[in-house]
Parts: sequence; C-alpha cells; structure tokens
Amino acid sequence: MKLKQGSFLWYLYLDKIYCLLSVRNVKALIEYFHLLDVHCKNTLNDVLFFHFLHHVTNLNRPQIMFIFDMLDWNAVGEIGFDQFYMLVCILLSHQNHLEEQFIYRHSRPVFELLDLDGDLRISLDNFRLYSFLFNIKKQELEELFHDFDFTGDHRLNYKEFKLFTIFSIDKYQERQKAEKEKKYPLKKSLQTR
Amino acid sequence: MEEKPSKELFQRPPVASSGSTGPLADSRAPHPASPQTHPRSDWGPGLAALPTSLHARRSPSPGLAPDPCRQPADSYSLPPSAPLVVCDPQASLKSLVHHGSDESHQQSDIRKLWTTATLSEMNLNLPLSKVSEWSDTDGSSFCHQKNGVDSDAADWEWDDGERVTLPSDNSFKQELDEHTLLKLELHRGRSQGSSLEEGDSRTEAEKSPSMLSLSISKHTPHRAYWTEQQNRLPLPLTELMENEALEILTKALQSYRSGIGRDHFLTMQLQRSIEGLKKRRNKRLHVSLR
Repeated sequence: MKLKQGSFLWYLYLDKIYCLLSVRNVKALIEYFHLLDVHCKNTLNDVLFFHFLHHVTNLNRPQIMFIFDMLDWNAVGEIGFDQFYMLVCILLSHQNHLEEQFIYRHSRPVFELLDLDGDLRISLDNFRLYSFLFNIKKQELEELFHDFDFTGDHRLNYKEFKLFTIFSIDKYQERQKAEKEKKYPLKKSLQTR
Repeated sequence: MEEKPSKELFQRPPVASSGSTGPLADSRAPHPASPQTHPRSDWGPGLAALPTSLHARRSPSPGLAPDPCRQPADSYSLPPSAPLVVCDPQASLKSLVHHGSDESHQQSDIRKLWTTATLSEMNLNLPLSKVSEWSDTDGSSFCHQKNGVDSDAADWEWDDGERVTLPSDNSFKQELDEHTLLKLELHRGRSQGSSLEEGDSRTEAEKSPSMLSLSISKHTPHRAYWTEQQNRLPLPLTELMENEALEILTKALQSYRSGIGRDHFLTMQLQRSIEGLKKRRNKRLHVSLR
C-alpha cells in the first residue's frame, strides 16, 4: 500500500515516537474531513470513503471495503472523524515504515479494530484479512500465532497481542540498530574502544 | 488504471437496527456482540494527544522575558544580533551626518532601517538612572536624551574608544513603516530565543531594559493579525485540500448518479457542494490574478 505522492495526506507528519499527528495536523485533517462530509453529518458514507481511499492510496476495492467494514463496527454505513483519524494514522505509519511502532504504541485500539467479532480475541483469519494494513507477511503471521497463542485456542487475547507488539518492537529496534551500524561502522568501533 | 466504483456500494439496504443509518449503508448484519459489551472504545481524543505543539514552539514565551544582551552587567543592553554601527571616533561624525541627512536613502534600503530601528529602540529601553550615570561620565553626549529633546542622532562612546552612532527615537519611529515593524518584532523574538540559551550569567540590571522592550512589543499594531495568521491554515494547503476534495467528490458524484439517480436529494446535495467548492476556487483564482 502506498500513499499517492502529492496528496494532502502525504504532507502530514506522523510523530515517529508517539505515532500521532500534531494538533496543527489534526486541525488540517478536520478541515479536510469537513470538505468530504458533503451531507453535513460529520460522517463519510461508504461511497465517499471508497473514493477518498481510492484517490489517495493504491488500495483496490475489496481492500477498501474491508477497511470500511473494520472501521464501521456498528454497521451504520458511515464512519466518523475518530475512525477517519485512526485510518489516516495507520496509513501514515505504513507510509513511514512505522507499523511496529504504531501497533506497539496503540495496541489497544488496534486490537479492538482487529477484534471483528467482539469476543475480545483476534482470530488468525481476521488478522490475515487486515495484515496488508500493517505490512505483516503471511508467514510472519502464522509464526506469530504459533509463538504467542499461549492459551492454544488459535486466537490471541489482548495480553498475547500485547506481548506480540513488545516482541515486534524489540525486533524493529534491533533491525534499526543493525542498519545504523551498517551505515556508520566507524562509530561502532569507536564506541567499543 | 482506475477502477470504476461498482453499484454494489449503493445496493446495500440500510441496517434497520441502527439509529443513524446512512442511506448508502452496508447491508451486513451488526456485530454479534452488542456495542455495550464490546471493548472497542473511542480512540479519537487519545490518539489526538499532542507530543509537541508547533505553535507553542514557535511563539516565544512572554513569561520568560529573556534578555538579548551579552554586555557586561554595568553596560547598556544591546541586542546581540543587531548590526551595530560601530566606528572609530574620527568616523563617528561622518556617520552622524549620514544618518541625519540621508533619510530618503535609508527608507529605500531596508537593511539600514533594520540597523537604525534596532539601535533606536535601545533608547527606549534605557532606564533614566542609567542615562544620568552615563551623562556624568560621557559629558554632553546624552544630555539631549535625558531632556527628551529630539535630535537626529546620538553618539555613544564605549570604554575602548569605539563610538556607536544612534539615531533618535521619535524621528525613526515615524520613518519605520509597518513592514519594518513586523520584521523588527520577528527579529526581536529570534534574538530573545537565542539569548535564552546563554541566560544564566545575566543580572537584574540587564533584564529590566529587555522587559521594557517586551512590553513595548506587546503593543505592536500587527500582533493580532500575526496571531490570526498563525492559527489559520496556510493558503497552499487549503488550496491543495480543496482541489483534492473536488476531485474525490466529482468521482463520488458519478457513483451517486449511477447508483441512486440524478434526482436523488443526496446527489443534488453533493452537486451543490461541488459547485460551492468550484466557486470558492474560482474566486480565489480571480483574487490572485488581480
């Protein structure tokens, strides 16, 4: 998934540590949301949502409708600004390769998003359905369920999910460290002395 | 290649159970768990928490009242980044003449206005006691200031023999146009910001003039305008948003027309808002062309 270069969302800056937008950015996003909210209900229906996401990303129609279903948990056929904001943060985290950081920082909302049945557990199928949003590969997902499903019910409860987020952020940090060392090998040798 | 939105989007009947069912709603059944029992909560405000506010970072805090001076405690405060007109005793007379006579030239060159404006402000910051002290040591140089008499320039001599040529306050304040005042305000903000980092070694004697200058800056005529500009979205961003929204809404209009028909009130509502956006854009274009 990629954001369209030059689109409005492309100019928003997601804080790398907190994975949040600044107040200024949120303010701009609200204005944008209101421009799209042509029926003045503070919501976007599925058609507007589809065209918005289709315009700013390279997601296909089934993917967009999956996302809409995920956000419209009450099945009212519309999403509000909260959901819209959440989606934008997910898109920006994906764009900036901060998926692990985002899931770690906002583990509870992400868990609630992925818990489509509302039984406080995430099934492998549901997770797989939305893995494209968080850039999780199929094999990784199966490994994750194998490693963190301590209860053995083939589903993840929040604690298991939280452990996964901690594990993945550790892995992400190690990866970053390795990349840094690869980039600046001299610095590392100086540090070891 | 762009995908065409299918009619499926419109074919889903609204969900009967939900109160605010959208006309183009999804037909799938609500989740088995009721919203009351599901842990999903509102994440909006939590996610919208702000780590750092740009706005707060930009505007200097008035409570801190930093002093831009780096002078010794017993000397007069001068903003550090202000380009001082320093010259030797012989040259001071020349510069005095230059400031006094060539006013039109100064107005044409903004850098000179900067210089003179910053220096002239120092006169305002000068406490009366200091003026009298100074006039004791330096004789007649400051008597015109003490008495409040206007003159074209003031000539200050420092300990090391260097002279600083200063214009008088009133004459130059009149000369400064609004733009210069605004720039001056910004400059002052910057110099105050930089002085915050060095601030520990300052004394109270140094702080008082800068406090005065801050209180003067508060009354700068364009402060309200400037604050409004800070709170408003930048124009290119607004333009970008509107253009993008227009493109999205135009595509959505086609879907509306093919899905629910041209005469549906939602289609007409969408069309009206598109026209409104177009009008707004044209108006802006018209203004910018002028």
